[in-house]
Amino acid sequence: MFNQGEKKMKSILTAAILTLGFIQPLAAEEYPSGPVTIVVPYSPSGNTDVFTRHLAPYLEKKWGKTVIIDNRPGGGSMVGTALVSQADPDGHTLLITTSAFVTAPAIQTELPFDSRKDFVPVANVGYVSYVLVTNGDSKFNTVKEFIEASHVSPKFAATAGLGTTTHFAIEQFIADTGADVDVVHFKGGGPAVISILSNEVDIYGSSISSAGENLKTGRVKALAVLGSERIKALPDVPTTAELGYPDLEIKQWVGVFAPAGTDNAIVEQLSADINEALQNQSFIDTVTPLDWTLQQSKPATFAVQIDKELTKWKALAVDKGISK
Amino acid sequence: MELIDNLSLGLSVALSFNNLYYCFLGALLGTLVGVIPGLGVLAAISMLFPLTFHLEPTTALIMLAGIWYGTTYGGSTASILLNLPGTPSNAVTCLDGYPMAKQGRGGVALFMTTVASFFGASFGIILLTLFTPVISEYALSFGSAEYFALMLMGLVAASTISDGSAIKGLAMVVLGIIFGLVGMDTQTSTIRFSFGVLGMLEGVSLIALAMGVFGVAEIIMSVGRIGTADLDPKSLKLSSIKPTKDDVRRSWMPMLRGASMGSFFGTLPGTGPSIAAFLSYAVEKRISKTPERFGHGAIEGIMAPESANNAADVTAFIPTLSLGVPGSATMALMLGVLMIHGVAPGPNLISSQPELFWGLIMSFWVGNLILLLLNIPLIGVWVRMLTIPYHLLYPAVLMFICIGAYTSGFSALNIWMVAIFGALGFVMRIFRFPGAPLLLGFVLGPLMEEHFRRAMVLSRGEFTTFIERPISGTIIALTCMILIWGIMTSRAAEKRRKAREKTTINES
Repeated sequence: MFNQGEKKMKSILTAAILTLGFIQPLAAEEYPSGPVTIVVPYSPSGNTDVFTRHLAPYLEKKWGKTVIIDNRPGGGSMVGTALVSQADPDGHTLLITTSAFVTAPAIQTELPFDSRKDFVPVANVGYVSYVLVTNGDSKFNTVKEFIEASHVSPKFAATAGLGTTTHFAIEQFIADTGADVDVVHFKGGGPAVISILSNEVDIYGSSISSAGENLKTGRVKALAVLGSERIKALPDVPTTAELGYPDLEIKQWVGVFAPAGTDNAIVEQLSADINEALQNQSFIDTVTPLDWTLQQSKPATFAVQIDKELTKWKALAVDKGISK
Repeated sequence: MELIDNLSLGLSVALSFNNLYYCFLGALLGTLVGVIPGLGVLAAISMLFPLTFHLEPTTALIMLAGIWYGTTYGGSTASILLNLPGTPSNAVTCLDGYPMAKQGRGGVALFMTTVASFFGASFGIILLTLFTPVISEYALSFGSAEYFALMLMGLVAASTISDGSAIKGLAMVVLGIIFGLVGMDTQTSTIRFSFGVLGMLEGVSLIALAMGVFGVAEIIMSVGRIGTADLDPKSLKLSSIKPTKDDVRRSWMPMLRGASMGSFFGTLPGTGPSIAAFLSYAVEKRISKTPERFGHGAIEGIMAPESANNAADVTAFIPTLSLGVPGSATMALMLGVLMIHGVAPGPNLISSQPELFWGLIMSFWVGNLILLLLNIPLIGVWVRMLTIPYHLLYPAVLMFICIGAYTSGFSALNIWMVAIFGALGFVMRIFRFPGAPLLLGFVLGPLMEEHFRRAMVLSRGEFTTFIERPISGTIIALTCMILIWGIMTSRAAEKRRKAREKTTINES
């Protein structure tokens, strides 16, 4: 799976060495000294890809250098992530990825990189909230009603696949509420939502974007927001924090990472440049309809968050016996 | 009117410059491939499949669909002029098309089959427009158990009905499923059949398998078997493409009957355009007052099958788009395109991706109009195409296969896989094992496993769930009937063949 990456890396390295030989003096003065490659470990037209494609022009304008978006899908984002872990730490190869960065290592133990040691977190750029949804005609209207009903007859919960954020959301829900629920895996968010529409499965911890249209038309209803802040689009839906489950918080975030060893000054500059792009009103206007909540972050706080999440999901995976 | 809104949305998508261009390209390439005997639609789509990775899913699908129905248009050309079917679904057109060409009426035959193709396709598109959304609504009553049963039926039907031996067909389905299981299991992330090769973790590449079994094997088989086309100069009298009044009068009803039969068989799993064409020919012959004219240039004998196969091409999209269940190997490839682009086909497709669905449907109109306009003036060019020597054509095709396989994942492993599957496909041809069930098993196998395991979780381990649920139970019962019928008919055919051999031996 990774030979391909290695070969590509060799050519990138060769190119980088050749280029560096010529423009070494310039590179010392300012970053970036050449084109910047942002690796997206997902297919074109996915959520993360669309976000990156909107972001790239702002960085290009700021730097006056080309920003290349390199889609490296496969292994649930792990192929592209592994590729960047071996890249030159000069700030010219970056990774933009999702919460899979912290959830995948909790399940897969044989990854060719260490999420903690091989990367420097740069910026947490935004997130999509998760809501607990059920069929629009279902008889449960609150989380409490659902938990009580599950003790009378066991219920089913859908996920978008083993080890995905939606899987961890449900496992955390079961751990915190003690509901009697069995997990059923689907392939992707689309089929999981359909299983709610067709009443085949009872609940699903869905990202707000994948429940989208169906939430607006009332074909599915939200029981709770999985977090501590209510969502503007759903003002009446309580948060899990309000309901007394403060640990039950999950978000699909998107973050930028650089290979470990990248100069601290470059990381700080990158973070500042990205944060500046995020404040651009026309950027905000393009991504807000896609259900993104943008945020500003410092590399240090993002690093703390990553460390905390890696520990949290690993513990849950081991506890639930889903870690390999 | 919602329908009109949808249609205008679709039209705006289909008429965007980019989509129009790829629709044209697809239709043109399809016709080209269709005209060349021996290169079928599966081979064509498998080879051009990697090209579509760089396109939007809607555009990719529009182009592949263009190739799909384009081949059926082009296929009749070789059938009529050379007595060699361009694609299997045009085989029956040879029976009366070639005699027409010999009588110097080749031009009329080419013109009229183009008209019949357009008529059949239009009929199919109307049905597709009206029924797909309706079926999608009902699709919500389909759970994992129903999908499993439906896919099982598709596999059994495809392997037993299509052609030849039911046992061989089933064996190929099972082999396809085994290839499909290679890689990481979706339920537990366990690695299966990868033999320690890292590149296999992601599974066997659909492109490598399809290109090998259909493209490479096709070419190896053709070596030394088909010479440069032997054209009868008499058939080239294209100046006279105007049909007589009698031709037109005789064509109406066969066209209509062909279109209805084609539409019906197109939607069923395992049948498709070839069966539709054969059956509609048989029906025309049976109900004709002058059956003795058939086989000697009867125009009904080309109108009915050409209308039927084009209608079937279009209606084959109904189950694929509304349920996400492909009825044929080609549709399985189309499904593969959608899945590679992250679009989940199924009940939500129409509501979540209206521009894709309606754009595709409207592109059918556009594409068929293009084909109609393209084919009549270009008949002369297609005829000349048939004289390209195969020793130049086939190496070029082989080169494109290698480029396509490599660029699909930038990995040399894919080229090795193409070579291995090419060898497998060649062996399969020699022993008359059909390739289509293999591909269908490859695509449907992993999906079936996924639905089966999910159905088992949801029933808390009760196998009876597949029989107790009414829809699933009915489908399982139908599947058993198809299986029994398939084995019986293939036994009977075997007996007849043996009896025939015996008599020939005795006679000699």
